[in-house]
Amino acid sequence: MSIMENNGGSVIAMVGKECVAIACDLRLGNQALGVSSDFQKIFPVTDRIFLGLPGLGTDVTTLKELFRFRVNMYTIKEEREIEPETFAHLVSSTLYEHRFGPYFIEPVMAGLSKTPSGGFKPFIAATDLIGCLNFAKDFVVAGTASSKLFGVAEGLWEPDLEPEDLFETISQTIMNAVDRDAYSGWGCIVHVITKDQIVTRTLKARMD
Amino acid sequence: MARRYDSRTTIFSPEGRLYQIEYAMEAISHAGTVLGVLAKDGVVLAAEKKVTGKLLDLAGAKEGGYGGSGEKIFLLNSNVIGGVAGLTADANSLINYARTAAQKHLLTYNDDIPVEVLAQRLCDMKQGYTQFGGLRPFGVSLLYAGYDPHYQFQLYHSDPSGNYSGWKATCIGANNGTAQSLLKQEYKDDIEIKDAISLVLRVMSKTMDSTTLGSEKLEFAVLTLDPETKAPKAKIYRPAEIDALLQSEGLKKDEDAEMKPAQ
Repeated sequence: MSIMENNGGSVIAMVGKECVAIACDLRLGNQALGVSSDFQKIFPVTDRIFLGLPGLGTDVTTLKELFRFRVNMYTIKEEREIEPETFAHLVSSTLYEHRFGPYFIEPVMAGLSKTPSGGFKPFIAATDLIGCLNFAKDFVVAGTASSKLFGVAEGLWEPDLEPEDLFETISQTIMNAVDRDAYSGWGCIVHVITKDQIVTRTLKARMD
Repeated sequence: MARRYDSRTTIFSPEGRLYQIEYAMEAISHAGTVLGVLAKDGVVLAAEKKVTGKLLDLAGAKEGGYGGSGEKIFLLNSNVIGGVAGLTADANSLINYARTAAQKHLLTYNDDIPVEVLAQRLCDMKQGYTQFGGLRPFGVSLLYAGYDPHYQFQLYHSDPSGNYSGWKATCIGANNGTAQSLLKQEYKDDIEIKDAISLVLRVMSKTMDSTTLGSEKLEFAVLTLDPETKAPKAKIYRPAEIDALLQSEGLKKDEDAEMKPAQ
């Protein structure tokens, strides 16, 4: 059994019109045995960036704290908040530092980046467990349900969704995908980031 | 006779003194003054800037960042502000060390670093440079204004030898003797932050060499608790905020009067 599937869990991020959404399931398991239904895998990085860390449970916690360290150092030295593009490269280089003994995590990040004109542009990215970046224009998936997430997202996502429609799309995508994966599920959390607010909603799901 | 001993940091003189350390402290007593006062509900730091001038680019200090012009007062962690007196280059290196130490503590214990622990970490390093050969000591004294849940608000001072101590009110840099005797007279236990701010500014205006008192020559910071979250809130004032504060305290001196040629 792969160490990437030991604890289960999945994350997805989607681009909308001047907004982004990121969602994860809440299951932590030990192989087929469910252990927790309140294990969040998405963490705020700044006011406009969220980071999802699906993979080995212990590395979820470790990497959350390691990225807090590195982002705090960046913020205090540069005297400004980190931009999503910069953060993506921080994630990538941090993982590649452990090229030959990696953290068993496939991070997914979503945020709004500042444009020179003062507006905000949606940004999503994902990497593999050694930090190979994937900048997508539509959606990124990771975790034990990634193949199912891919399929449902391919069918449901469309360009320029408004925040409320994006919420509906990402919620339907993750709920239907994790129902088809034994290692993900047990509830979901969705964050929708717009330029002036973040909406976080918890979804009830099948508990089997 | 002293010449034989004072070029080495690690060798005692026959009188039992370490000259390099004493010279480092001497250098600090000519540096810009930094003043700290501990209040019941906060800590105040003020510092005199020495690097000034019409051509100095202060655009960075006016907006963006967390305030301060990056010469005397720095944010060390979300719960500690540092004020430095001495060699600026040495100070920058110590500040970087302090920030990393604070974040390492947060990573290891998932808790903000206690103020005394941070002062100790820096002093351990400073002490090392008074004992191991080949290098000179850090020519920097620091004031740490901080908060932690164990001892609430605290004010610490550390010197180049690696000594540190806690204070209710203290001063480092030029004229520190004058400032300290003023503070001794005027400090009252259970002082509130509002009174501490005006005490700091009053003492500062008396100790500073320059006749003007304005954002040009002053850095100012306050550490309090956020009334809602009860988390420590470090505020390093921006130039405009310093001028507004001096105005409201009635200490703002007219700079233009000095600039004009004598008539």
